[in-house]
Amino acid sequence: MSKPTVGIFGLTGCAGDQLVILNCEDQLLDVVALIDIRDFLMASSENDAGCPLDIALVEGAVVSNHDAARLQAIRQRAKTLVALGTCAVWGGVAAMDRGADRPKLLEEVYGEIGPGYDSIPAQALHEVVKVDLNITGCPIEKEHFLAAIANLLNGDAPIYPEYPVCTECRMLENNCLLIERGELCCGPITAAGCQARCPNLRVPCVGCRGPVGDANPSSLLAMLQEKGFDRQRIANRLRTFAPEAAPEGVAQ
Amino acid sequence: MSTIVIEHLARVEGHGGITVELEGDTVGSVRFDVFEGARLLEPLVRGKRYDEIAPTLSRICSICSVAHTLTSLKATENAFEVRVSPQTDLLRELLYRGESIESHALHLFLLAVPDYLNYPSAIAMGADKPAAVLLGLRLKKLGNLIQETIGGRAIHPVNAVPGGFGKPPSVDQLIALRSALMQGMADSDAAIDLMASLPGADFCHSDTIYAALRSPNLDSYYAGDEVMAVSDGNRAIVRAADYKTLTNEKAMPHSHAKHSNFRGRPFMVGSLARLTVNPRRLTGRLAVAMKRLKLQLPADNPMDNNKAQALELINDVERALEIIEQLLRAGVREERPVPVHPRAATGTAITEAPRGLLIHSYTYDAEGRVVTADVITPTALNAASMELHFRCAVEQSVERDEAVISRRLQMIARAYDPCISCSVHLVRRR
Repeated sequence: MSKPTVGIFGLTGCAGDQLVILNCEDQLLDVVALIDIRDFLMASSENDAGCPLDIALVEGAVVSNHDAARLQAIRQRAKTLVALGTCAVWGGVAAMDRGADRPKLLEEVYGEIGPGYDSIPAQALHEVVKVDLNITGCPIEKEHFLAAIANLLNGDAPIYPEYPVCTECRMLENNCLLIERGELCCGPITAAGCQARCPNLRVPCVGCRGPVGDANPSSLLAMLQEKGFDRQRIANRLRTFAPEAAPEGVAQ
Repeated sequence: MSTIVIEHLARVEGHGGITVELEGDTVGSVRFDVFEGARLLEPLVRGKRYDEIAPTLSRICSICSVAHTLTSLKATENAFEVRVSPQTDLLRELLYRGESIESHALHLFLLAVPDYLNYPSAIAMGADKPAAVLLGLRLKKLGNLIQETIGGRAIHPVNAVPGGFGKPPSVDQLIALRSALMQGMADSDAAIDLMASLPGADFCHSDTIYAALRSPNLDSYYAGDEVMAVSDGNRAIVRAADYKTLTNEKAMPHSHAKHSNFRGRPFMVGSLARLTVNPRRLTGRLAVAMKRLKLQLPADNPMDNNKAQALELINDVERALEIIEQLLRAGVREERPVPVHPRAATGTAITEAPRGLLIHSYTYDAEGRVVTADVITPTALNAASMELHFRCAVEQSVERDEAVISRRLQMIARAYDPCISCSVHLVRRR
């Protein structure tokens, strides 16, 4: 059987999900022996930028027309397109305020030339092309990447947790930061898979993995308001990594 | 007129390119193009509370996420006059060393060294020279282990918070780190062997101004608030609060670039600058290794930044071991972060990210919400110097073959270890 052809791409983001791949130090040489990496600009200066791909792994958000065109070209080449990380799956930090006056912000940061830049409100990959598999996380968990490769090699799709961070946190028998300490913790609405990394260190969850499937931000909002947090602060926190996590009707 | 264009730089973080225009043998305009999408994170954090800033701005860059997190925390703590515990200072320095080890190992072994040995990637190099790649991966893993143990995650650390750490590491965890670092001592020596065996990269010479953090104890990436610039034996000091005189970002009329310069001249930040500004670190094993690498300071060849990173690998491993010994001697205290009391104020912090000076400056309102945020990254600071060195390489080249020149330009760009998504505070976009 020939090895599947793979491309690894970064749109606009921090390159953290590609770095997670390179951080699989113990598995990296085994993984690259099982697949045929044809296009990986961050790691190689010899790439085939046009060949068909069995698997395209794409991180980052779409924040320019250039990003959108690149993504469409990748989609055309790829049998399976995998969104890697919170920016690709949800829009990420660049999407925290998609209603902002972009030309004004561009001018503020880059001066009078700014408004002329190719810049659009940040979008997740699925808002631009069809996505076959989402691996969330900011960054993704190493184990989730390795599971995806193992599954895709066998023609399967991996299964990721469909419950909130709270479930993992309780299994670790941590004291609840939200109920017992009154801290603004996003655990109840955030997708698990990180082994409750932050609350396990007594640090409130910031929601970096995006909302869990059946999340109910409105009920979390009510609970947090009872604890005395104002709506603005809650909304700011909830939409930092995923605009869809914020309850409707709370303005930026 | 001809043009040398490197459309999309490979083996660097982020999206950038190089354009050099030639009129016969005369070099016209030289550009380091950045076409990273605008995320506008600085204005987007406006209105956010002080405890949300580090986890948000850490996302500027994965490879430097510890540097962004800790510089952000330091700026916030400076604004609110928070004094963290000595244990927190030690743990933060240790976390910084972990990031530096990971970043330097990644850069040297996976991104830079393949050029010297004519491989397109470390993966290709690994087929012929597995030992070199495995050595790099071991050092990288060591850096990540430190970041995971102290920061709670290898990328975008979660455990460092305003006032201290969510949960300090246990004694057992520190002992495990110490064992890994002992192996790291041997591996960092082996890294010098590898670097010393590489063919020379001698195609760009220029007088260079170097700028780096001047640390009170002369060996910190994190402590201190003065930058020293060194050129031709002259020295100048810039304090953190006056950082704008150092960065002096100005729009270039021909290109709408914002370039940093010091007294009108480009300057270089990063490992080579740190060793030049703080030469007193260069004793013991470092002095021996420096001789083996035939490195002389101040250097006039930007490619020497690769050698400087290899020297820092030794220093980072040694310093991390010292810190762990110190923590184990004193005993690790189960302390909570120091309470933070917001006030209307401005705080600025300068530290050394793996690729050079990093500046965060915030103004807060009385409730601790951000009014303005300013982030100056090493790659933005280095942009003017990179262009200067691209120009020197083309002008000094006897070889006129464009493929050769193009390859040299890419090697110089990589020697700077640019982090292009870091260049939020724009260098140039197209």
